[in-house]
This record gives sequence, C-alpha cells and structure tokens, in this order.
Amino acid sequence: MILEALEREGVEYIFGYPGGANLPIYQHLREHPRLKHILVRHEQGAAHMADGYARACGRPGVVFATSGPGALNLVTGLCTAYMDSVPMVAITGQVNSTQVGRDAFQESDVIGATSSVTKHSYLVTSIDQLPRVIHEAFHIATTGRPGPVLVDICKDVQMAEADRVTPERLEIPGYKLNGHVDLDHARRAAKALAGAERPVILAGHGVLLSHAEPQLQELAETAAAPVGTTLLGIGAFPVKHPLSLHMTGFMGTGWCLKAVQNADVLMMVGMRVDDRVTAKLSEFAPNVKTFIHVDIDGSEMGKNVRPHIELVADAKQALAAMQPHVGALNQNRGRWLAQIDAWREEHPLRYKHSNGQLQPQDVLIDMYRRARSEAIVVADVGQNQIWAALWWNYDRPGLFINSGGAGTMGYALPAAIGAKFGRPDVPVWCVAGEGGFVMTAQELSVAVEHQLDVKVVLLNNFSLGMVRQFQDDFYGGVRSQVDLKHMPDFVKLSEAYGLPARRVERFEDIGPAFDAAERTKGPFLIDFRIDPEANVYPIVPLGKSLNEFWESPENA
Amino acid sequence: MPEIKEKIRVLSVLVEDAPNTLTKVSGAIRRRGFHVRGISVGPSSQPGRFRITLQVDHGHAEADQVRKQLERLVEVVEVEDLTGDHVHSRELIVAKVAASELDALLKRGAKVLSTAADGTTVEFSGEREEVGDFVDELTRHGIVDVARSGPVVMRRTQ
Ligand SMILES: Cc1ncc(C[n+]2csc(CCOP(=O)(O)OP(=O)(O)O)c2C)c(N)n1
Repeated sequence: MILEALEREGVEYIFGYPGGANLPIYQHLREHPRLKHILVRHEQGAAHMADGYARACGRPGVVFATSGPGALNLVTGLCTAYMDSVPMVAITGQVNSTQVGRDAFQESDVIGATSSVTKHSYLVTSIDQLPRVIHEAFHIATTGRPGPVLVDICKDVQMAEADRVTPERLEIPGYKLNGHVDLDHARRAAKALAGAERPVILAGHGVLLSHAEPQLQELAETAAAPVGTTLLGIGAFPVKHPLSLHMTGFMGTGWCLKAVQNADVLMMVGMRVDDRVTAKLSEFAPNVKTFIHVDIDGSEMGKNVRPHIELVADAKQALAAMQPHVGALNQNRGRWLAQIDAWREEHPLRYKHSNGQLQPQDVLIDMYRRARSEAIVVADVGQNQIWAALWWNYDRPGLFINSGGAGTMGYALPAAIGAKFGRPDVPVWCVAGEGGFVMTAQELSVAVEHQLDVKVVLLNNFSLGMVRQFQDDFYGGVRSQVDLKHMPDFVKLSEAYGLPARRVERFEDIGPAFDAAERTKGPFLIDFRIDPEANVYPIVPLGKSLNEFWESPENA
Repeated sequence: MPEIKEKIRVLSVLVEDAPNTLTKVSGAIRRRGFHVRGISVGPSSQPGRFRITLQVDHGHAEADQVRKQLERLVEVVEVEDLTGDHVHSRELIVAKVAASELDALLKRGAKVLSTAADGTTVEFSGEREEVGDFVDELTRHGIVDVARSGPVVMRRTQ
C-alpha cells in the first residue's frame, strides 16, 4: 500500500536502508519494479542522496529508514534539507502501534527528534490514514517553500491489509500557500528600485526554487540594478553578466560587499538574510533607505531585517509583477555602475600562486575550463566549498549544489551520487576537503555498484582547513585539533572500494589527471595535495561588519 | 513595568486536535527563543479543533515573529493576535483558605465551592491584574492551597 502510494506520486528512486521496523515494506519492493531502490551504506547517506537528487532534478527525494537508530541517522540529512528548503519525503518504520511508548526494541520518538528539522511530520498508527498522509506529505514537501516531510509508519500499519484506496481530495486547512502578489507592493518596489541612486539586488535559493532566473535578469537589466547572490543563490544570475556582483556574504566578493554597504535601496529575493549574509547585523547595509524583501515564507519578513516593502509571494510571480512598473531610472545610475566597476577592479579575486605548491584555485580553474556550464558541481563544507563557489563562473541555475544553511560536512559525496541519479545526462563533480569526505566516504560503494559517473575532486590540505584558517585569523593563531595527518591513502582507499584514482601534487599534473578522469567511465577520484596554508579570501572577521573584509595578501 | 508588558504577545491559536500538536506548538516557541508566560488549552467551537491561548514573551525577536512562526505549523489553522486592550481576558483561580478569613475574599467576588474542616475552597476569575490582587489578598490571609489557570481571551465586540 505504501509502495503503491509512492508509485502514484511518480517516485522513481528511493534511497534507503532496511531494518526490523520497515521489513514489511521491503518484502514487497520487488513487486514494484518502477520504484528503483538504492541501498546506501549509512542512512545519513540516503538523506543526502535524496537531497542531491532533489536539488539536481527538482523532484522530491525519497528516503527509507528503519526505526530507532535508522531514523535517527537521518537527522543530519533532514536538517540539511530543511535549512536549504529541499523537497524530501522520509518514510521511517516505527514499532507496532500497540508498543509505542513502551521503550520497545529500536523504538525512539522520531517525530520528537525530527520536528525541528522537518517542514511537517506524521505518525501513522492506522491504515486508514495512510493514503491521505502520503499524498499530503508529497504535497507539503514540494509546494510553497519546499522542505523535508517525515512519515513515521508503525509496523502493524505496514502489514495491514486495506482495500485499494485512492486518497481523497487534499484538504489541509492549516497549510496556507502564499501565491498571490500584492500588486500595490510590487508597484512600490519597482518604483523604489528604479528611483534608487544606488540599488542592489541580492538573490537567494528561492529564485532557483521558483525558476525565476529569467524574470530576475529582465528586471535587473530594465532597472540597471546590479545583482549579487547568496551562496545558495549561485546560478540565479550569470557571474559574467556586466551587472553581476558575484557572491555576497561574509566570504563574498569585495565589490559585492562594497555595493551592499553603499546601496540606498536593497532588494532581497528568496533568501533568509541570515548572519552569513549580513555579518554584523547592526551595520548591515547601513545606507539603505528602502529594504525590499521578496519571499514566499511570510515569517522571513523582519526575522532578521525589517523590510520597508514586503512581497510575500513566489519570486517568479513577484518579479514579473514588478517588471512593468519599473519606469524611468534615477539619472545617477551610470555613476553607480561605474563605481561598482571601479570596485571590481580594485578588489578582484586573487590567490597566491607563487610558492610552488599546488593551489586549490588552479585545480578549479582547470576544471572550469573543461566543464564550463555543462557540469554540476557538488561541494562539501569548508574552504573547498567557498573556493568552488568563487572560482567557477556559474552562468546557469542548478550547476552548484552545497549545504549552505546547515553546513554539513560529509554532504558532498552522497549528494553528488543523488545528483547523478537525478541528472544522468550531466557530468557530476564532487569537490570536498579530506575531512568532510571521510565522514561519508562509505558511499563510494554506491557509486561503484551503480558505476555512476561521479568524479571526486579532493582538495586535500591535511587539515580541517576552514577551522585552521579561523584559528589562525580569529583565535590568536592557536591551532587546536585541526591536523589531519593521519588519513588513509586515498588512492588505495579508492582501489579498495573498487574505483580508479590518482594523486596529484604538482601543477603540471592537474590536466593529465582530469584527462584520465574524463576518459574513465564510472567513478574516479583525484587526491589533490594542495597547499596546506591556502586560505579563503575575502573574509569578514567574525563579529565585524561587511565593510571590514580581509583580502588575499596578493591584493595588497 | 511597561517595558516587559510590551514584549508579551497574547495569541489565540486554533489548532487541529492531532497527537503532536502541543509538542509542535511548544517546540516552535522554544526554538525561536520565545518564552511561554501563560497558556490554556480547551476545545473550540469547531469539532476536531482546539483553541490554545498563549501569553508569550518574544525575547529578542520582532513581536510579529511569534504569530508568523506559529502560522508556519501545518497543525495551526489560525492565529489571532489579541495583544492590547480591546479584549476580554480571564484567568481562573481556585484556592483553599481558612474559614475565618473568608469575608475579604467574598467581598472581592470570590465564590465558595465547598467547605470542609481544613478550610474553605473558593473560586475567583478576572483579568490578570485582578487575579494578581486576589492572590495578594490570599497571601495576606494565609493560603492553604491554590491553583491558577492560564488566560482565556476573546476580542470584545464593539
Ligand atoms: C558535521 C560537521 N562537523 C563540523 C563542522 C565544522 N567545520 C566547518 S568547516 C570544517 C573543516 C572542514 O575541513 P575539510 O573537510 O578538510 O575541508 P577544508 O576546509 O579543508 O576544505 C569544520 C570542522 C561542520 N561544518 N560539519
């Protein structure tokens, strides 16, 4: 009955792991050949695969796990998806309904443990609820601001016989979708943007989720307003566009931060305006007279920054509604754009490449030269993530996937595997630090088993690089527990898992290693031994305002 | 203390009668750094739905965040912000006092529920301040036992 319901929802892949409390589901899996089940090696891997799948192809990711430890292993993956608004449905087994609350074997309060990291959750204790609940779960996961929904199903319900039932019409009174755009607000927002002397638009993940990139570009061009993106908004606006400010936030580009801090009108679209974007909140965009905030989730309005004009709506519709009202532009606009160009010249992205060591940027630049806009890059968390964000000219949506809100180390490999299942036609690159990589490295088996074309690019700096940099820069230079000298030989590790691999230590070997990776069908790993002292720049010191970004010593 | 009063929102929340509703409502409040000052839960006029009346301290968040965060919950059907003066707000107190101390309490409008050898049990209801004053009165006379409800609030019709 559960499997039939999933078929009805159009599910193709399930990422899962069996156990005592979901065996009744697994017993019947074979009778449903349209559902392809991918056996993971750890439930966290399943959640990240479903997440990567959903981000790559836009369909909700589906996860199975058993009760207790199985379900609890999903928590990090659910949190990752929740923070980044990724549609996912997790179906967990629960002990028999008559045993709930008795501390039965592998019983845990999964609803309690996950309610802070799910958009919604259900405990199903009777078979009559099941068709409605599954249908609702998919509806809630995929509509409005998407997010993970968990369905915890008691084992006796999984075994119960029921007549074939099709779910009733959806009726969820407490679930309100903000669809319609307040036209008056849209008009005011457009006028404010056009009339601004120094406008800036910031675009977040919401733009990608609503597929509003064309509307954003049209509006930005009409209003001659420069556009920066958040880390998760990368791809919402082409990096090489003359109006592009590239990435904002505390590791954003110098010219973007200058623009934000000097803007008089700031429009924030499809984003949460979190502390990574604002840095010191009281000094965020201090010259702004009019904040405009567009988001489908009304609770984002004023959560961190109180907007003067609110548009609680889908980004695509909101931007389209603004478009016809832009009208005449402020005559000083040319001066503002020239100023931004000057900042771009003054604060370019730079890196050190004179010390003979392999630089991570060299690796990424070579990768970009090959892949252009034809590959999906899935980054892990840490320095590797920011390098992959900044040193790649994403000019289309959906090419960069990473855990922005939760910052979950270990995300990249399973998410890249999921992304490849979602987009088998597109090359998928996994970029990770060695620290994060080993957190979920066991999923290499899945890539090998299914001969997935996932290429793993390890930026191996023998340390928890981002933490090491923070300690060097902001914690008095005291390096504490960041050394990763004792790590496996990644080439041998790959061989043990059954995939080819290479080690690269010199600049000249970058190209040949990528050639080999591209020639190889199936997974491939390259262990790039990069400069252990390489840092991420620009960076805003903790607790400081965006004005105070530090640049690469090369910018001096 | 007007400063403190301003940080309190009074909300009337219509919710689905589901097994996890109360956990989710209280979880959302705790997670956002809000603090419950008073709560009462009871059936609503709609079958299958309950009404929760909440007094919440919104801490460092903007005042309207409490309502918005609650509205995000699928179990929550409707939230009405009843902060302010145009409402009826009642709290109930049930107290046991020595029989000799009854007069002052009855003068305030308390009603006797039962009388026994170890004391008389009275009930009193009123606005938060009135109930507070009543508690002060009780303390002066020596309370044997007391139980006090959270608020129930309804908008006044003009
Ligand atoms: C699960 C988890 N634990 C801890 C952290 C804190 N953290 C953020 S970046 C980082 C270092 C990552 O090191 P590595 O994976 O080697 O990547 P690098 O920064 O060197 O590129 C750590 C420990 C985290 N983000 N996630």
